[in-house]
Amino acid sequence: MSNVQPIDLYARQISDEKQASVIDGSSAGTEKRYAVLGKDYKDPDALRKLAGSIKDHTLHHLDHYLEKAEAALVKNGAHVHFADTDDDARNTILEILRSHGVTRLTKSKSMAAEEIHLNPFLIKNGIECLESDLGEFIIQLDNDEPSHIVKPIIHLNRRDIAKTFLREGVSETYNDDPRTITTQARVHLRKKYFEAEAGITGANFVSAESGRLVLVTNEGNARFGMAPTPVHIALVGIEKIVPTDRDFGVFLNLLGRSATGQQLTVYTQFINGPKSANQPDGPEHMHVVFMNNGRTDVLESNCREILRCIRCGACQNVCPVYRQASGHAYRSNYAGPVGAVLSPLLFGDRFPELADLPKASSLCGACNEVCPVDIPIPDLLLRLRDKAKREKVHSPGAIPMTPFGTLATSPSLWRTAMTMSKAMNHLPIEVAPVKPLQDWLGQRTLPDWHGGDFRKWLKGRKEKS
Amino acid sequence: MSRDSIFSKLRSTTSALKKRAPYPDYDISVVHSAPRLEGGDLWDIFARNFKAVSGRTMTSVEELAAFLTADVSKHGYCDPALFESIGSKLVAAGLTVETEFDRSRYDDYQFGITRGTGAIAESGTLIIDDFRTSHRLAALSPWIHVACIQHSEVVRTIPDAIASFGDCPNIIWVTGPSKTADVEGILIEGVHGPGEQIALLI
Amino acid sequence: MSTTARPVTKRVLLMGTCLCDAFYDDVAKATVQVLEHLGVTVEFPENQTCCGQPAFNSGDWATSRKVAKHCASVFSGDQSVVVPSGSCAAMNFHGNLLQFEEHPDASIDSLAKRTWEVLDFIVNGLGITAWPGEFKEPTKIAFHRSCHSRGTGTGEAAMALLSSIKNSEVLAFGQAEQCCGFGGTFSVTFPHISGRMGSLKLDHVLEHKPDVLTSGDMSCLMHLDGLARVQGRAVPYKHVIQLLRDSLPI
Repeated sequence: MSNVQPIDLYARQISDEKQASVIDGSSAGTEKRYAVLGKDYKDPDALRKLAGSIKDHTLHHLDHYLEKAEAALVKNGAHVHFADTDDDARNTILEILRSHGVTRLTKSKSMAAEEIHLNPFLIKNGIECLESDLGEFIIQLDNDEPSHIVKPIIHLNRRDIAKTFLREGVSETYNDDPRTITTQARVHLRKKYFEAEAGITGANFVSAESGRLVLVTNEGNARFGMAPTPVHIALVGIEKIVPTDRDFGVFLNLLGRSATGQQLTVYTQFINGPKSANQPDGPEHMHVVFMNNGRTDVLESNCREILRCIRCGACQNVCPVYRQASGHAYRSNYAGPVGAVLSPLLFGDRFPELADLPKASSLCGACNEVCPVDIPIPDLLLRLRDKAKREKVHSPGAIPMTPFGTLATSPSLWRTAMTMSKAMNHLPIEVAPVKPLQDWLGQRTLPDWHGGDFRKWLKGRKEKS
Repeated sequence: MSRDSIFSKLRSTTSALKKRAPYPDYDISVVHSAPRLEGGDLWDIFARNFKAVSGRTMTSVEELAAFLTADVSKHGYCDPALFESIGSKLVAAGLTVETEFDRSRYDDYQFGITRGTGAIAESGTLIIDDFRTSHRLAALSPWIHVACIQHSEVVRTIPDAIASFGDCPNIIWVTGPSKTADVEGILIEGVHGPGEQIALLI
Repeated sequence: MSTTARPVTKRVLLMGTCLCDAFYDDVAKATVQVLEHLGVTVEFPENQTCCGQPAFNSGDWATSRKVAKHCASVFSGDQSVVVPSGSCAAMNFHGNLLQFEEHPDASIDSLAKRTWEVLDFIVNGLGITAWPGEFKEPTKIAFHRSCHSRGTGTGEAAMALLSSIKNSEVLAFGQAEQCCGFGGTFSVTFPHISGRMGSLKLDHVLEHKPDVLTSGDMSCLMHLDGLARVQGRAVPYKHVIQLLRDSLPI
């Protein structure tokens, strides 16, 4: 099957049940987003463009703003660390945990942590590391991978989850009622929060002005991970910076609406230091780990706009290819349109392994239309296709374009081909020994060939007049 | 090592850019949602928007006592500073109220009454922070959380709330009960945090 | 995409598109007829071939740049270039700018500044916002806003014109923002996903039993028709410009 694109193949093999879950979940997300933005704003597009320009400005001056954020955090008593590579990030976090004698922790959902496979690493190093977001908790129990940025278990249904809970002893009897499932997780995780010696989080935004980390969750799990817990570690991609606290107003108003159709996510936390002295519980130590892991390379590339991304998942929800193939088809922790750009770039030297991702798009542009920071995703997909071609990466099923180029730059040849090809109407092209054409014609027919007819009509008119 | 490496890459990359985007000059009012801000009194606007996110507003301790006694919630925590004005009245109504939150008995507390810092009218959001709130866990662990706020502490918009951050290092906005839609997109309230968020006007 | 700065000339160059050249001669004809009806003189440069999009979308930019340069030389000058396709128009004013970013070319820039999708030209160029046509019978129209017209004036222009035709009813259908699944070479390299996308689009479009399916892009319609016929649920389809022509007494 080497002439089939991996993502198309994945979509052929996905179970009907899994596909229905993904299509329903993502379509509902898109509809909620349109409804809330349309209701709240006369011109949501202006807001998206503003947010994009704030991010662009920050990225273009990231050295300045990152340094500012660092200084503000240090001033407030937080420890700031830097990690250039995924290895650096994992080891830094392990060292911090060891320095505090931590053996048990809870972790709230973080795409940066997914990116560096933090959980398995910590577990291998003898640290009990529990995902506290309901979806991520189920992923961890299943030894599965999240398939959506905001809805990690979009590919599962309630029956799958009830089976997992029974198998893993979270429940004593099978019950697939969503309320019951949620209560079982609440009871199970609550104990773990109180036992944990550290909480790991990501961050949605960081203000350079104040060092404030913004953390949003609906479940309150990030809050719980740093309520009874003496140590807080935040793993933050360096592109998360915004210049000022005031800018949070723009991004928060877009993030919730784009992600889940909410004006604001339920728990929105602004943290720039350890707990206050009057609090009996909470982190006495706050560590912020700023991670690069390839982001400076992306900033250097001609696809740097992808670093504007605020991880809302709106492009995944609206993407017709994502809906058909599911997130797992993208073979990396960023799926869908954003993943098709970001994942191959973050793969660095291993770009060829994921060079097919940017091809998996009809370039319909819906992703750009819904993006809260107006990332021109189709343009970036095209640039990566160009990159793959220039780097001579094999592309399964690709049609060679040289003959087309010759034909389309030779007008007389073109005109002849137009008239000659009328023969197509009488040829059984569906049996032509061209595999992609056969696949295509298996589901579709072509209209009748009218090659050159328009030119003939024009000529006839001219002669008449 | 990592620090130097990251900053040197950032400096060489940003200085090589042909064009660097300027910081956009914008009026923060562009993020206000006009329909959500309709109305005159800030508490009324807050109450409407808080209700829309499944929060409850109450304007008297009697109302709160009636709600709690009608529920199975008989035992809870109250900020010591609020005991005289609120906690004691609940005790009189037959509820058990502690002014210490003992984390080893976290399951004993069915409600937690804490002092809120304020609220945001536009979004129906409670503001709690480390300076005013007596106990993080008491505002998070019990099924019912009651945040007590004064009328003058309600701000109009999200940007207004950001502008009033001050210097507290831990500020939390809570817009309704803790919730999830991870299972088939079905909304369930009360995941890790409270399943009931109550704003009590004091 | 700013549409205001582009020139509106009374003599225009028609870019017929390769699809009309090969399959849909009547669409090109209708374009000529409608424009002439509006007092516009239409010239058709004989040496035109294709805008280069198939190679561009495949990532073979070395080839697509050659084709685009041929196209730009065929359409040189200062006249408006009018195209009955949102996708070819977008290639001229957007795709080309991407692939020539590192290879600046004045003829490419000039073509970008003069290209109009035909419905955009009629409404935003010529200023005609209502169409004085009439259908003999009440006609239910399903308008598929093609993806390449996102962010341009074409979608609204088409809606304005179609809904002002007497006896027309423009239907609203679900998930209108979704793609038909064609995407040129995408439908060949991802035949399964593309087919599923098209079938979903047909489900939504056909739900309200339109008399005709229309769009500003024949490529979308060709794809949907190709699927619909195999699935035994064919529906008549026409370019918007054909409907405009058919509603006039010409």
